[in-house]
Amino acid sequence: MEASFKLGPAIILVVVLIAFIAIGVGHKAKDQDDYWAAGRGIGRIGAGAAIASNWMSAASFLGMAGLLYLKGYFALAYVIGWTGGYVMLLVLMAGQIRRFGKYTAADFIGDRYESQGARLLAALTAIIISLTYAIGQYKGIAMMFSWVFGMNYATSVIVGTGVVLAYIIIAGMLGATKNMQFQYVIIITAFIFPLIFIAKKLGYFYLIPEIGYGSAVWDLGHKYASDPNNLKYIQPWGVASTYKWIALCFTMMVGTAGLPHVLSRFYVVPNTRDARWSVVWGLFFIGLLYWSSPAYAAFARVQNAIAGVQPVKALADVIIITAAENAGLPQWFTGYLAAGAISAAFSTVSGLLLAAGGAVSHDIYYRIINPNASEQSRMMVSKVAVFVLGLCVIMFALKPFALIAQIVAMAFAIAGNTIFPTFLLGVWWSRANKQGCIAGMLVGLTLTAFFFFWGKGNDHWLAQLIPFTSSSLILMPIALFTNIIVSSMTPPPSKEIRKFLCEQVHGIEFD
Amino acid sequence: MSEDRYHINIFKPNGEFQKTEVKYIWMILAVWALGTYGFQLLLKIVQRNPQGESFLTDMQFLGFPFHYWFTGQFLIIMFILLCIWFNILIDGLEDRMGKGDIRN
Repeated sequence: MEASFKLGPAIILVVVLIAFIAIGVGHKAKDQDDYWAAGRGIGRIGAGAAIASNWMSAASFLGMAGLLYLKGYFALAYVIGWTGGYVMLLVLMAGQIRRFGKYTAADFIGDRYESQGARLLAALTAIIISLTYAIGQYKGIAMMFSWVFGMNYATSVIVGTGVVLAYIIIAGMLGATKNMQFQYVIIITAFIFPLIFIAKKLGYFYLIPEIGYGSAVWDLGHKYASDPNNLKYIQPWGVASTYKWIALCFTMMVGTAGLPHVLSRFYVVPNTRDARWSVVWGLFFIGLLYWSSPAYAAFARVQNAIAGVQPVKALADVIIITAAENAGLPQWFTGYLAAGAISAAFSTVSGLLLAAGGAVSHDIYYRIINPNASEQSRMMVSKVAVFVLGLCVIMFALKPFALIAQIVAMAFAIAGNTIFPTFLLGVWWSRANKQGCIAGMLVGLTLTAFFFFWGKGNDHWLAQLIPFTSSSLILMPIALFTNIIVSSMTPPPSKEIRKFLCEQVHGIEFD
Repeated sequence: MSEDRYHINIFKPNGEFQKTEVKYIWMILAVWALGTYGFQLLLKIVQRNPQGESFLTDMQFLGFPFHYWFTGQFLIIMFILLCIWFNILIDGLEDRMGKGDIRN
């Protein structure tokens, strides 16, 4: 990794970025509906690619391989959490959320629980989650910009945000969705092909490196096992306990099923059936990336073992670039890999900013402050909100308040402990009411924040039981039962909303 | 609990359609939980040292240590198959009950 200007990679990156904007401009949003739901005409595979592209962030593209590189089997808990969460989302909520027919998470919560307070709380939570998560993407963007252009961190953050903001504001979600399909192709090809090269160089089965890396993992545990760190790599509890593995995996699962920008993808498909099948495609497309990240990590460890050096923590987040460079991948191709990483970060940031902008313009401005707002003024507020929130992200990203991985983990914990239980009960328990919803969300938010600030680096047994990045195993049920208990002690929701829930959302026909 | 018929509770499904739907949901979630968390607990149960080594980690499959293959590769395949299975079940249920149109 040297930070100097590289012509080949720079040209590739600029071409890719210009293509994103050109595709965005070619599909201008016509009105508010078009802006949010992207015309609902992109089909199952297209919607699947959009789910995957929206999902695959810098954390997936760069951070995942880095964590696997450092922690081996333990880090598989992220991979399994981030894919298994979609199963839970599909079987428990996807179809019902689509039939509920709302654009944003706050809209669902506000309408289902018949409360402006719940709506406001959900909108603010969605904004916190989206911004936290978006800040986490900038380390990836900045590292790639500095590798390609030799720019410093601050400059890359500002340039990167500028480009993201430009295309969201110009084109709205239709552009962003079209972009997302295009971005998915860039991301996945950039990620998969260098692996073949690396596997071949190391002498492993290279036609399908996602299988070939198995022997590399085996070698770490046998041929190179004289180094205890390599042995720990493959041991199930070599790095952390079984409890930590399960708590982390569970937090990532409920977090995935509670992220507002993931939930809002279901409105982009024309009907329930397409919503359900788009999850299958989305999961397959995400799987292609997650079958490959462990391969990068294992090959990089074998490269280290052969060279007789220890894994370097500072290199973890750029390990895919380093592994490719070590294997002698041509520089223009490494540039394509960097462009893929930046696409991954951009598509996620744009999805997050759209979700946060939607929370401001739709949930807070239109539904709470000014219900008579015209189409144009809502569109305007939405664009201004995206712009202002983008500036907030820049400010925080320039001086991150914690390690990037910790920031992203907190976004998952908040989503899993607040939005997930509220949606789950909202869909599956008609007795849940506004008091329960508000109490549950407040308890979830407060406890998550408490364990983040108090539990970080604390040896107290409670902080060990509820690790701040893996708090949902304990805190999600607490938030869920708070909702149940408070709802049971207060009056049931109106007949109208229960009728709607039965007939529309669950499709029950009464004779 | 409720004085009228408009109630939803995943533990007390309302009507024939929902009874079957909920049965499918539990079925998928059971396989999902067993595959994900059950396998980790199995590793814990059969381990011969605190690091979790056992016959499952000694065994080689497709070049991998078996447990690494199962978690790192097979579980994602299982998740995709579970989603396909669920969708086929629900599509079939909707078609049988003639609900395909109103549920869209």
